[in-house]
Order: sequence, then structure tokens, then C-alpha cells
Amino acid sequence: MQKFSDLVLVLMVFVWLRGDPVSPLRPICDLRILDHFVREARDSEVIMRGCRGGCGVMNSYFVPLTSVDFAVWEQIDAQGQAEEVQTGLSLLVQALSAARNTVSSSPLISTLDNNISNIHSLSQILQSLHLEQGRSTALSDDSASISIQTQEVSTLPELLQVQSSFLRGKVRLLFSAAPVCQKRNR
Amino acid sequence: MRIDTLNVVAVLCVAFVTIGGQSFERKVAQLLHGEADDLKCFVESKKDLTCFWEEELERKNSHDRYTFMYSYEKEKSRTCDISSLSLLASNRTVFLCKLPQVLFFTVLDVQVLHDGRMLYNRSLNVENVLFLDPPRNLTVVSSGKEGPLNVSWLPPHLKYMDDSMIYEVRYAVEGSHMGKVEEIKASTKLILRGLQPGTRYKVWVRVKPDGVAYDGYWSAWTEPVFGATPPSDMDPLTVLLVLFIALILFILSVTVILSRHKFLLKKVWPDIPTPEHKFPGLLTVCEGDFKEWMRQNNGNMWGRSVHVYTEELPSPLEVLSEISLASHATSQREERITLEEEEEKMESEGTDSGITGSWREPSHAHWFMEQLRALQENPQSLSQSMLLESPDTYVTLNQNSQRARAEDDSQVDDICDESLPLQTLFSNTGTSSLSASRSDLGSLQQSSGSGRLSSQSSFEYSNHTWSPNRPGYTYMAVADSGVSMDYSPMSLSRIEDLGKRVIYTNEYKNEIFGHKCPISGQC
Repeated sequence: MQKFSDLVLVLMVFVWLRGDPVSPLRPICDLRILDHFVREARDSEVIMRGCRGGCGVMNSYFVPLTSVDFAVWEQIDAQGQAEEVQTGLSLLVQALSAARNTVSSSPLISTLDNNISNIHSLSQILQSLHLEQGRSTALSDDSASISIQTQEVSTLPELLQVQSSFLRGKVRLLFSAAPVCQKRNR
Repeated sequence: MRIDTLNVVAVLCVAFVTIGGQSFERKVAQLLHGEADDLKCFVESKKDLTCFWEEELERKNSHDRYTFMYSYEKEKSRTCDISSLSLLASNRTVFLCKLPQVLFFTVLDVQVLHDGRMLYNRSLNVENVLFLDPPRNLTVVSSGKEGPLNVSWLPPHLKYMDDSMIYEVRYAVEGSHMGKVEEIKASTKLILRGLQPGTRYKVWVRVKPDGVAYDGYWSAWTEPVFGATPPSDMDPLTVLLVLFIALILFILSVTVILSRHKFLLKKVWPDIPTPEHKFPGLLTVCEGDFKEWMRQNNGNMWGRSVHVYTEELPSPLEVLSEISLASHATSQREERITLEEEEEKMESEGTDSGITGSWREPSHAHWFMEQLRALQENPQSLSQSMLLESPDTYVTLNQNSQRARAEDDSQVDDICDESLPLQTLFSNTGTSSLSASRSDLGSLQQSSGSGRLSSQSSFEYSNHTWSPNRPGYTYMAVADSGVSMDYSPMSLSRIEDLGKRVIYTNEYKNEIFGHKCPISGQC
């Protein structure tokens, strides 16, 4: 009997651990991190403009829409916004990775790597904000499940411009409006 | 009640619109001057984008001939309704379009067509043309005794954008045009340090997006707000030091004043000068009576000699005489007479200083006396001996005397240019008066103490007072009335008449000039 109780205890501990594979993150509400990522995305655009060879090929990239109509955006709830942002980030990562494979310019390669890493971090930060309750937060490359609208771009400069606009726009709006951060600051 | 509420609301709406309209017009005006693009666009809040362009002066068109087209990325073009706005301040007109739909974080293409032709074309991101309102509720508060001013304000009304704004705070001393600017990011407070104590400052603030997520133009400055820094407390050490130095200076000055108070008193309040040191006894004994004092001091000489006309006092006159000796005999006699005269004078003069000289050079006097004696003995030689030579130069008389002499006495010749009263004396006809061309009172000082009889010793003698024992002396009465010297011989007569009248001659010599005129009369 005692052995059974011990086992149950151990199992409970394990279930509890498994149930929450990612340790609860403290909310990262400092927008300076996001601003840092935004600046690095802008740097990529600059490097791209100065690229003189091995700057990628034309390809079809599906990227999220970046335009924000405040009148519409403010009507969407926080979860919807979070979902849209997460999906968009996922799309961006895929597109950037695909574009990076076609680039041979080393400065461009390094900055693209940086951008990809930044978007992964952003995804983690979004999770810390607990905006998506009860939904999978993992990045998925299943485009069919994406409910947001997308657009197609064909060149790397356009892709980088989309990345920059998306980070400055929707991602930042989501971050600055996160309820968790609002409660902490005020 | 309800109507009142509605009225209030209506008034507020109008006021708001008016103020908003003024703010909008100010923004348009500011961009009109500041921006280089022909087609200018800006966003005031999150929901309106305005694009405008200036009316071309050459073509006074209505907005009907313009077309405004815009399209967001990957969307079809749309038109916008154009309106016009007249700027009162600069007297210009702009055409503008307010886009009905504003999308941030995407590319916007705008075009202006005039009569179907492309006039302006521009691509922009709306989040990069933010033109915010100025900050609100600017307050300046003095904090304690140290002097810094606490400045605080509220950001413009834009949701979730507080952390992406930067501010500029400008402050200046009231009345001064030199101001300082401080930039501050993501904070609505600032502490101004390093200010002058006890001074009033003017503070302004303006805002701009920080350029990371949003970008745009600097807003207008807020209305200035005043704040005063507290006056500085005097450091106790400084106060003590100042007092100590003041005390030392005070003690020093008192010491100086006490040690030299007499000297200082003399400088500040000088004594009234008195002639007591030069005229001993004048004020104390004689009580200011100069005649009495003179009498006491000088004795017989002055007492007998000075006879003052009631109307005018005698004044010193330097008269230089020059008489050529026609005959030795005459001169001899004259000299003799003169010598006697001089001796007498020497007795009476005594030790007068500063007024008369003394006869200490008998050689000159002797020579002169000789001449006079010669004149007396030989009256006919008068005409020839009109000139008494003397070793010195003489005062020049005017021409009247010479003419007078020439008229009546043709015997007069060899007259020196510097003719003298003695000539007149010896002339037959009397001249009423002679005016000295010059009287050198300066010889007063020069001949004082000298051995010569100075011109100061011009004495007026009445006929009666002089001793009758001295005939043949030409007598001159000299009176100084003002500028001109007016001396007239009391008697003019021939030598024969000399005995009846008292004639006295004085030889006046100027000590400066040492040459001797020859007897011939040619100097």
C-alpha cells in the first residue's frame, strides 16, 4: 500500500511536470527588447540595399499582412491579436529561412540569421505574456490552419520590408497592449 | 434643463472644433514652410491622414481640376475628395484630402493629377508621418532650497504610444533669448539643474515619435510656463568671512584717520589764508590798517613821501628815462642833484623789502646826478641834453610827447627812440599829459631788493611838500588810474624857473637790460 501511494505520488509529480513542459515564464514587458529587434530588422533592409551580389533569388514567399487599421484592430480581442501575431511570426520565420538558403553574401547571411533568431525570441516572449490561453504556442508550419490573411512577395527586399512592418506594427501593438504588462506598469 | 445641456454641449463642440481647426491649420502652416516635398502628408491621430499641396499662384484654379488618387499595397486605387483651405496667417491657399481609411505599417501610394496629368506622386508609410499635438498640462515646480526645477507634463492623447515618444524641453531665463534644450525619452518628467538662484525661468516642451516604431515631425511648442528658483542661502562661512574682512578694513581706516586727522582736516577744511606771516602785526596790532602798519614799519621815508590824493592811490609805475647829455656840466649838476636825492632816499627808505629798492649803486646815481647838475647849470643845453643816458633800456612813451617836444623845441635833437618823461619836463611848452605806452609793473618784483631805484618808487609829490632846497628837480606826479598810466609833470618850465618850482627827477632803471645808451642818444 505504501509502495502504491509512493508511486502515485511520483506519477503525480511527473504528470504535473509534463503537463507544463515549459516552466512558467515571467512576463517580459520591456518593449526595449522589441525595439532592439525592430532596429535589427531595419539594419537588414539597409544591408540588403547595399548588397551587390549573391543577394538571393526571386521566390514566392507567403508572408502575413502588416497593415493595421486601428479602428478594426482595436475591435479584435487580445487572443485574436495574439494568434494573428504568432501565425505571422511563424510565416516570417519560414520565409526568412527559405530566403537565407538562396543568399551567398555573408553580411546578408549573418543579418538574416539574426532576424530569424530574433523572431524565435519574440515568439517566446509572446508566450510569457500568457495571451494564448489553452492553445498551442508552438510554432507550426502548417499553413492551412492559418486563419489570417497572407500576401505573397517575390523578392528578398520586399520580404525584409514586410518583416520590419510586421514587427513595428502588430507585434508591438500586441506587446504594448498586453494586459499583463498593463497591470504591472500601472 | 435639457435644452441648457444641449446648448452647453453644442458650445463645447464648437469650441473643440475651433480649437482643433486652429491646431490643424497651424500644423498645415508649419509643414508648408518646413517640408520639402510638394505633396505633404501627416497623421494627427490614428485615424486620419491628411495630404495637401499648395495652390500654384500662376494658375488660380478651383479644386475641380485636381484629382487625388491613393492606393495601399496590393489594393486598387481610390479617389479622395479634395477641399481647399485658406491660411490667414500667410495668405496662401492649399488643397487637401483627408483619406477615409488609414492603414499603418504598410505602403501607401498617393498621386495628384491636374487635368488628367500627373502633378505629384509619393509613396509613404503612414506610421512615419506622425504630427502629434503638443504635450498637455505642463507644470514647473521648484523643489526645495537647492534650486532645481521639477518639470512634468502629460503626453498627447494617443493610446499605447507613450513609450515611443521623445520630448524636448526648452528653458530660458525670463526675458532672455538664450535658452537650453534637453531631450528626454519615454518619460514625462525632468529635473532642471544648474539654474541660477532667485531667477524666473520660462519652460516649453514638444514631442515627437522616437523613430523606432513610429516617426514623424516635431510638434508645436507648448505655451510657456514660468517657474522661479528659490534664492540662495548665504553660506555661513561666507558671511563670517565677509564680516571679518569688513571689520579689519574699518579698523584700518579708523587708525589712518586718527593718526593723520590734522592733515586730513587741513585738506578737507583748509584755513582761510591770512597775510600775517608776510605782514607781521598787520592784523593783530594794526587791526588791518595798512597805512598804520606801513608807518610803523617804514618810518620817515614812507610817512613823508606818500601823499595820496583823495580820489586815487598812487600805484607803482616803472618809468625808464633816457636823457642824452648835451653838456657835461649840465649832467654833472644833474648827477649831483640826483645823488643827493638818492642819498636822502636811502635814509628814508630803510629796509623796505618788496616795495622799493635802495640806492646801492651810487655809480649809476652819480652819473645821473651829474647829468642833472649839468642840466641845471646849463639851461641852454636843455635842448641838447634832452636825453639822459642811462645804462638801461627804458619804457617807450607814445608819440605825443615826441611831437610836443618837436614842436616847441627845435633844439631837441638826438632823441632816442625811447623818449622819456624827462624830455617833456625839459621842454618849454608843457604838455598836458603823457601817456606811458607801457608801464611795467613787473619790475616791481624784479627790482625789489636790488641796488637800483625801481620804477615802483614813483612818487607823487606836491609842489609844496618838497623841500625848496632842491631847485631844478623836475617833478613828476604819476597817478595810476586804471589801465593807462597818466602822469603829468607838475611843472614845466625853463631851467631858470626851476628854482621856483620843484622839479624832481627820478631815474628809473630796468635791471634786466644792461646796455648803456651813448650820450649821443643813439641806443
